Amino acid sequence: MKSFFKIILQYYLKYITKLVLFIHQPIVIAVAGSTNKTFARDEIKKILLASGKSVRANPRNFNTEIGLPLAILNIRSGYNSYRDWLPVIAAAFAAIFQKNFPEYLVLELGVSRRGDMKYLLSIVNPKISVITDITQRYLEAFSDMDGLVGEYAYLVKNTKKDGVVILNYDNFRVRVLSEKAKARVEYFGKGAGAVWKISEITKTEKGQMIKVEHQNKIQNYSSARFGEHHAYALTAALAAEEALEK
Amino acid sequence: MFERTQNLKLSVIKQMELRASKFPDVISLAQGVPSFDTPECVKRRVERAMRDGVTAKYSLSPGLPELRELVEQKLAEENMFYDFEKEIIVTAGSIEGITATIMAITNPGDEIIIPEPTYTSYREVIILAGCTPVFVPLNEEKGWALELEKYEAAITSKTKAIFYCNPNNPTGTIYTEEQLRQLAKLAEKYNLYLISDEVYKDFIFERLAERKKIFSLAEIPELRKRVIRLFSFSKSYAMTGWRVGYLHSDESIVKEILKVHDSLVTCAPVVSQYAAMGALEMAEKDIAHFRREYQKRRDLICARLDKFKNVFEYVQPTSAYYVFPKIIKKDISFGSYDCPDSLSWKFALYLLEKAQVAVVPGVAFGPNGEDHVRMSFGRSEKDINRAMDRLEKLFL
Repeated sequence: MKSFFKIILQYYLKYITKLVLFIHQPIVIAVAGSTNKTFARDEIKKILLASGKSVRANPRNFNTEIGLPLAILNIRSGYNSYRDWLPVIAAAFAAIFQKNFPEYLVLELGVSRRGDMKYLLSIVNPKISVITDITQRYLEAFSDMDGLVGEYAYLVKNTKKDGVVILNYDNFRVRVLSEKAKARVEYFGKGAGAVWKISEITKTEKGQMIKVEHQNKIQNYSSARFGEHHAYALTAALAAEEALEK
Repeated sequence: MFERTQNLKLSVIKQMELRASKFPDVISLAQGVPSFDTPECVKRRVERAMRDGVTAKYSLSPGLPELRELVEQKLAEENMFYDFEKEIIVTAGSIEGITATIMAITNPGDEIIIPEPTYTSYREVIILAGCTPVFVPLNEEKGWALELEKYEAAITSKTKAIFYCNPNNPTGTIYTEEQLRQLAKLAEKYNLYLISDEVYKDFIFERLAERKKIFSLAEIPELRKRVIRLFSFSKSYAMTGWRVGYLHSDESIVKEILKVHDSLVTCAPVVSQYAAMGALEMAEKDIAHFRREYQKRRDLICARLDKFKNVFEYVQPTSAYYVFPKIIKKDISFGSYDCPDSLSWKFALYLLEKAQVAVVPGVAFGPNGEDHVRMSFGRSEKDINRAMDRLEKLFL
């Protein structure tokens, strides 16, 4: 009964979401990867908001077949309660008539099963796609790494031709996804081939100072967060911001 | 023989539970166990992990990266910024984290200052590490407040850390931001670590709940090389049996704690780590439900205790699920009990024998806990009412 309800709900939310996206035509920035996608998503959102753009991003980890539509429609989840889903179903319908829909959607896409990315991309059509990292996390549902990487390759291949694919240069599996891209490719990371290059990370008492090299210019950024992954999230976000401006 | 263990004691809480088990109709307000079952969303997450066949093997020693990444996100929501790759360890409950921390930061012979009354097991872990617990009393008249001058007086050249529980077990009280900042100043002055056990942080009642969270010294970036903060999923998510928690601090400290953690448990139980992921991803509503229920139970137990004006007086708890009444009735003729010469022990055994209600003798939580008993309102309203009915029959 529960799985039947879930399927009905999943497709109900999917088609409402597609209708809403058709009406409002937002620019979709997709963020995917085994790790660091939430921090990259938040960094992109922060940068776009700072430049005065209207933005919506997934709350928490709403990045699956049910979570993604809820994130786009900006409605909460009913989790495991039939009763709690009733107002959600009504809210989803009401979302068709939402005003002030944001211009940009920064959407984390979660992949844990074969075919997940294909399903999510049957809902959204990203102009910009960011792949943060690929590790063996969530490998269990795939026969091998190629199967898992194939999910991300699908995203790269299906990013709009006039868009940009932004890849982590330092992860070989991510880097070679560029071969699948129809859109322009930009790299971020520490490696020499990164267009958005992390040239130095200095830990301070209050966070990190990050030096980013781009087109022979070095910019300094400070972050209250600790950890190298935040430097990666920052450079991915800077690449996304520039991609939107071009 | 047994030199390391000869000064350790079995937890008084467990001793009371053991004695209580001999009374078939006992109502136990002794153990600090939530009456709730683990939330369904947590169980579903575990079922999925088991179906996927990912729970049978060890994880990395500090824990599953996806869980630690979630922990980093959760901490950031609470204004604490720590690197999931190097500064967060998933532990087998908070007590394993406490043990690993104390073993890592101390040398045998060091002293650790503990505001008391506080959680009973701190003493045992400190002794196990070959160190000495130095108890400094909290001021009951000021709502179990920290009094800084007493801490400064207790500091010696051997003092390595101040170790506190906030919200505090057994008093159910919260240290103010001002008190904690003063404690931090002391720690800086004397180069001490601060170990902050915050396992009850999600159960804060009334006005304080509007702030949504307690203040933690782990929020202050300048203190990150001093503060080691611990959290457990046991209380917040009704997961005491899963044995999973986490700790975080600066990388320079965590890398040392990790060595001990690895030698103690290799990694936290992987199935429980998936449970913890389910909890962080989906159980926010359950926590809110538990909090509301505990507040109702707190109001109930306090209303019932108010009738015992000649037996108890107490500071109303603002958090956790304990009340710690002082025994003011001294004219009770106790029987001959096999227990230490202590009013709180005798009183607890008297309640067990005469009313078949189990509570914990206050002295178990430190010398300053003497003359008190700890009652848990983690139990159901029905149990609380039945226990109080029996006490009314005994005393009123």
